[in-house]
Amino acid sequence: MVDALEDRSRVIAIGAAVVVLIGIIAAAGEEEALVIGTISGAAYGLVALGLVLIYKSSGVFNFAQGEFGTVAVYTLYLLHFHVPYGVALLGAIAVATLFGLVVERAVVRPLFDAPRVILLVATAGIALLAVAIEIWFGGAQGKAVDRAFPTLDRVTVLGVQLSDQRLLLIALLVGLAALLGWFFTRTDLGVAILAASQQPTATELVGVSVRRLSSLVWALAALLGGIAGVIAIPEGGSFTPGVVTFSFLIPAFTAAVLGGMTSLPGAFLGGIIVGVVQAVATSSSLFEDIPGTPGTLMVFVVLLAVLTIRPQGLLGKTA
Amino acid sequence: MAATVETHADEMAPDDHPAKARFRPSAAGLVGRGIVWAAIAWLVLVFPLGRPGFEVQRFSQAVAYAIVALSLNVLLGYVGQISLGHQAFVGIGAFASAYLVTVQGQSFWVGVVGAAAIGGAQALVLGGVSLRIRGLYFALVTLSYGLVAEQNIFQIQELTGGGQGQAAPKPSGFETDWRYYYLCLAFLALVLWIDSRMMKSKGGRALLALRENPRVAATFGINVRLFTLFAFVVSGAFAGLGGALIAHNNTFVSPEVWSFNLALVFVIMTVVGGLRSRPGVVLGGAFFALMPYLVDKLGWLERALAAIPAPNDLTPELAPLVLGPILLLLTLIATPGGIGQQIRPLQGWLLGGRFDPHAQGPKEVQITDVRA
Repeated sequence: MVDALEDRSRVIAIGAAVVVLIGIIAAAGEEEALVIGTISGAAYGLVALGLVLIYKSSGVFNFAQGEFGTVAVYTLYLLHFHVPYGVALLGAIAVATLFGLVVERAVVRPLFDAPRVILLVATAGIALLAVAIEIWFGGAQGKAVDRAFPTLDRVTVLGVQLSDQRLLLIALLVGLAALLGWFFTRTDLGVAILAASQQPTATELVGVSVRRLSSLVWALAALLGGIAGVIAIPEGGSFTPGVVTFSFLIPAFTAAVLGGMTSLPGAFLGGIIVGVVQAVATSSSLFEDIPGTPGTLMVFVVLLAVLTIRPQGLLGKTA
Repeated sequence: MAATVETHADEMAPDDHPAKARFRPSAAGLVGRGIVWAAIAWLVLVFPLGRPGFEVQRFSQAVAYAIVALSLNVLLGYVGQISLGHQAFVGIGAFASAYLVTVQGQSFWVGVVGAAAIGGAQALVLGGVSLRIRGLYFALVTLSYGLVAEQNIFQIQELTGGGQGQAAPKPSGFETDWRYYYLCLAFLALVLWIDSRMMKSKGGRALLALRENPRVAATFGINVRLFTLFAFVVSGAFAGLGGALIAHNNTFVSPEVWSFNLALVFVIMTVVGGLRSRPGVVLGGAFFALMPYLVDKLGWLERALAAIPAPNDLTPELAPLVLGPILLLLTLIATPGGIGQQIRPLQGWLLGGRFDPHAQGPKEVQITDVRA
């Protein structure tokens, strides 16, 4: 009964959000923004998947998630001087995963029992350290990086040309979200991770090492972050230190919160919604009078609105 | 101060080593303490007089950073809420004061008070809207607000003077760097006094109680939301004041200074300083503000940093960004009480107690695990 009620209110909430969104877009006549927003939203969703994964298992907001992506982009950039693109891509993702493991081992594990806010400060510290080292070693100026696929106009949707890279990004998001959904409901390992997040002591009692699971989750999240970085960033053609953190992290967090912070499909949906809101705010004349970047303000408004009106998000369960 | 220490000692006396509680330093001990106090006073008050103006500017900056660190300490230390957008509060304070003085033609004093008021007001609005948001989600809201400040508020031409930035002249009577430095010290003393008075009031005790456990605090009749908002407003006002002092110290504010990196440096200096330890937090803020100066001045430190095999030298400006997070992680993992914990034995000794190397206070940074 309670479940049914919850499901109904959830459906109403999602329906309302979608109607409002389509209403805004229709009012402004911004079909292009819908497409552009979906694409940037796919990147946010991909970063948000990693955030949700870590929040589900460790209960912490991982501010270093963006840096997993940036580290992967730097590795791609450096490796591509020496090896073919495909190898560099795999190497980049491997290095990002390794970075995730190191972070878990060196910082998360010693603070295993610390309050979550302290762990949040620690991950923010890691993000800053990574950005600072990037500036220190590589300089603050932008660097050029190639796309995986050169074709720029594979299909045209509502007047927007979609490159292969962008299509790959969307396909990856859908595929990875589905794969993770399967992983968490159908495999023993996935169920063990969920169990460890809800009842760590009981999980230990049935013979599962919670700490080992923690390493695995961080590696997995870093892998996702790395993939998000190496697919989304080269589309723009160049990158600067901390690029994923500065341009993706806040929208990705907003997406994760919008989706309920614990829901993988929610992160996916939230990413698209945030992307579209941002794109509409950027291109629509309604927001012309906002100084600077209207998209940033609108993402902030969405975040505040979700947290004050529906803190459990669109697809999250009541905490 | 001494009176409170004594009453405290009396209360402790019956069950806690009566002999130790009545400790009185010997004559030599008093002289020793006097010498150390004099050395500290010399370092803070006299030493800057002999330095060139641009160095004194660094010291003024350090004092302003100490105020910013105290502002974050109110939020992070007393209430256990983290602000990752504090650069917005400090930056808006800086621009508000510069705007009031340069564009509106008001005096410096109006600018500083205005900056503190605007800092408190925006905390009131942001806190009022996000009143029910706590913990990790509050951190996220402040982070997002910081980005809004950077990309929207600081893009308002009239407030920030566009790309060139806004002029912020030093107040009349305090035009020289030395006089301005003493003015900053006076403001720091004021903030320290307000902070210590606040924590001795009912409100201060309420804050500490609700940090430990909001539910228990609520049971004792503490309005959790109201007092959290109160702390946020105080923190915002301190931050605005710190921002105004930074602006007039540089006689100029430009928008690009107030970035996310700076917000993290603010958090780091407060945590490394040691939450809830006033001297620790002040030292932490001053240390991070002076780090570029120290790297520049201390030859051995510069050589040590240059010895690190990296393609580029670690510039003094970059040093806090690289060393800060390392110090932060070391602090969190090894000595959660930060500098405040390290100096506690010395602090006790200077206040007339024994030098007790074990008097390190609480072993952990106790921030309640708040759930939003």
